[in-house]
Amino acid sequence: MSVRDADDRIIQAARRDVFAARLSRREFMRLMSALGLSAGAAALAACGGAATPAPTAAPPGGAPATAAPTAPAPGGAVATLRVATEIPVQLDPALASSDAEILILHSIYDYLVDINARNEIVPRLAREWQVSDDGLTYTLRLAEGATFHDGSPLTAADVAWTFNRLRDPSLQLPTADLYAGVTAVEADGDGTVVFTLSQPNPFFLYDLSDNRALVLKAETTDAATSFNGTGPFKVAEYRPENRMTLVANENYFVAGKPGVANLELIFFADQAAAVDALRGGQVDIAMRMPTPLFETLRREPGLTAVQVPTNGFDLVRLRSDREPGNKPEVIQALKLATDRQAIFETVTLGLGAVGRDSPIGPLFAAYYSEETPIPPRDPARARDLLAQAGYANGLKLDLHVPDSGDRPDLAVVLKEQWAEAGIDVNVIVEPESVYYGENGWLEVDLGITGWGSRPVPQFYLDVMLVTGAKWNESHFSDAEFDELAARAGSTLDEAERVAAYREIQRILIERGPIIVPYFFAALGAIRNGFEGFELRPFPGRTDLAAIRAAG
Amino acid sequence: MALETVERGIGDGALTGGAPGAWQRALRAIWGRPTSAIGAAIVLLFVALALFGPLIAPYRATDQLPGARWLPPSREHFFGTDRLGRDVFSRVVLGTRDIFALAGAGTLVAVALGTGIGLVTAYRGGWVEELTFRSFDGLLAIPALLLALMLLGTVGPSRQSVLLVIVLVYTPIVARVVRSVVLAIKPRGFIEAARMRGETLGYILGREILPSVLPALTVEAALRFSYAIFLVASLGFLGVGVQPPAPDWGLMVLEARNDVALAPWSLYFPAGSIALLVVGVNLLADGLRRALQHGGG
Repeated sequence: MSVRDADDRIIQAARRDVFAARLSRREFMRLMSALGLSAGAAALAACGGAATPAPTAAPPGGAPATAAPTAPAPGGAVATLRVATEIPVQLDPALASSDAEILILHSIYDYLVDINARNEIVPRLAREWQVSDDGLTYTLRLAEGATFHDGSPLTAADVAWTFNRLRDPSLQLPTADLYAGVTAVEADGDGTVVFTLSQPNPFFLYDLSDNRALVLKAETTDAATSFNGTGPFKVAEYRPENRMTLVANENYFVAGKPGVANLELIFFADQAAAVDALRGGQVDIAMRMPTPLFETLRREPGLTAVQVPTNGFDLVRLRSDREPGNKPEVIQALKLATDRQAIFETVTLGLGAVGRDSPIGPLFAAYYSEETPIPPRDPARARDLLAQAGYANGLKLDLHVPDSGDRPDLAVVLKEQWAEAGIDVNVIVEPESVYYGENGWLEVDLGITGWGSRPVPQFYLDVMLVTGAKWNESHFSDAEFDELAARAGSTLDEAERVAAYREIQRILIERGPIIVPYFFAALGAIRNGFEGFELRPFPGRTDLAAIRAAG
Repeated sequence: MALETVERGIGDGALTGGAPGAWQRALRAIWGRPTSAIGAAIVLLFVALALFGPLIAPYRATDQLPGARWLPPSREHFFGTDRLGRDVFSRVVLGTRDIFALAGAGTLVAVALGTGIGLVTAYRGGWVEELTFRSFDGLLAIPALLLALMLLGTVGPSRQSVLLVIVLVYTPIVARVVRSVVLAIKPRGFIEAARMRGETLGYILGREILPSVLPALTVEAALRFSYAIFLVASLGFLGVGVQPPAPDWGLMVLEARNDVALAPWSLYFPAGSIALLVVGVNLLADGLRRALQHGGG
């Protein structure tokens, strides 16, 4: 291992020790998972991404190969793909959360339905589905020929068992909340599974494709260690904290996949070390890295660096239920003192997209609206507003910021911008375990929180902005907003939802105690000589089975 | 070593009455030795930067120059610029004051406290001495950086807590050095004589014992200072010391770590400054030790 790797291990260990025990690891993982961030070094946010899509588009399936017994991989060529990931901790699909864990698990297991790079629902184990007119019954037909690695065929009973496990409140799995609206999951014969809901949920197919909703064999008791999936790769050897070696599943039900015969997942404690390994030729793919390292890889010959825009963002938020955030003028002043374009260019190096103070980003093309203008930056007017609010001599605020991603840089840039409006910010950089520990992030007045990429915007509204929501860190409470969010989350009329989301964006720009300066990009790089690498907004959902040797 | 110092010092009568001649000779000895002179010159250079930094630095430490990201060293930016377009030269220069303020003030307080504790407890002896120094031993068994990290984890990172950490980590070490000298001269005749004359405790400690302790103490203070610089930088690098956007050298190294392939200057100059200052202080401390121990000869 490199010196830097060793250094980083020591540093990380030291910091963990210092700030340990303010919240348990399990709690921490659960929270990170819920926020859509990976636990540990969540430098997912270390990125932004201009609207440049990944240069290589995966040919879906590729040429249908008839899995000849001599062919090492159904995709054709004999090849080994070595992928750097962070160290996985939890390999029970129901408990997994980090990119590394999800990447590993969905190479071994399959989702019922998948989400493609354009955020659309696409078939995986379920080849087709119907929704009843009242929106309460989902009937999905399974693919034929899918078998578990132990040789047994996949049946609807396995799917039903999997989802009944995930939603069973008595098991206390983190997925129970997500599927609380499901009243029954039943097998209809071997090839059809039926979900019944208590009320319409326009985003239910996305819920079915939750990161953790990987299909297990019915009655699996050792879900964290059995690795008996239907997925494109079979586990050959797993050395915890070191690597996992997988071989192609020659009976995979999708023709042409996987594209390589061997898959090696090599674990790194630190993203910089993974990037070094990529530069040094020890791995072929690295994903998730701080923006400067991405810039480094961009200039490296023999590598292709890719970035995709995501719906993830860093949220600057002010508590609005007490001084000073309960004064609308203060919220206005902070917004007016902020130069989002400059932040985007300086902090994310122009990768990703500029934000408009709402979690509904430009990738949600149907919902995103630029109808309400963002007032241009005006520090002088911000100063006047602060004076009106009773802060004529300036406003002093502590800004709490987790030490991951580009967030410390964001804090430093904000401090400079706000200083011009007479706002004196004291930056306090904390390890994530401290920032999120003991619910400190929900208590502080001014903070920067990273929110990971989600396929639908409703999630952000429901858990972050609705009155009394679990993670309403800004303590925002607005009757009009609540009504609109409820309507958008339940109506089956798409036009009504679009209208509600548009109004929501107006409210957040006008009076929401939040600033969304940018949406960050997912970053990755692959060694030349492979094709089919399509990085996803949540890098852990990248399809390794689609990658094959070029030529 | 300390014992030898004392014996020699007493032998030529230089240290009993605060003899100014010894110090002048020591100074001359430092300038006479090339390595010591280099050390002294480096330290003086940084002292000058600390005093006159704002006059020398072309920009403020926090100025983010538009469109100036990762510029290589040039006539406008001697040390180039960093990721946020800040002038590295200005940050290094202005950071000097920070490091002197923290490491210097911390060392001074630790030396003062350690000397007081060492003098009083060692001279008085008894169970207070035992208790004090056994607990110091316990404290010293923990590596300084680890102790610092634990303390900062408790009180939270800030400038004041870094200062507190330096004082807490170095006071026991200084006290131990002082104690060893005191123990060596306590049984000697001139102390006995002073006691017979009925001198007060303050007089005996301040006028009879302290002068003998000073040479060893000076060297120790210089060494502590160099370690304190290192400690401040380490804490900054670990992100638990001085908070951004302060131009703390260790913090600058941390911030530039991922940029090393694109803008090595943003890493090398602050890192080099830490190294240079530590080397300078060590050379000076070494010169002081030689000069004072050999009575200037």
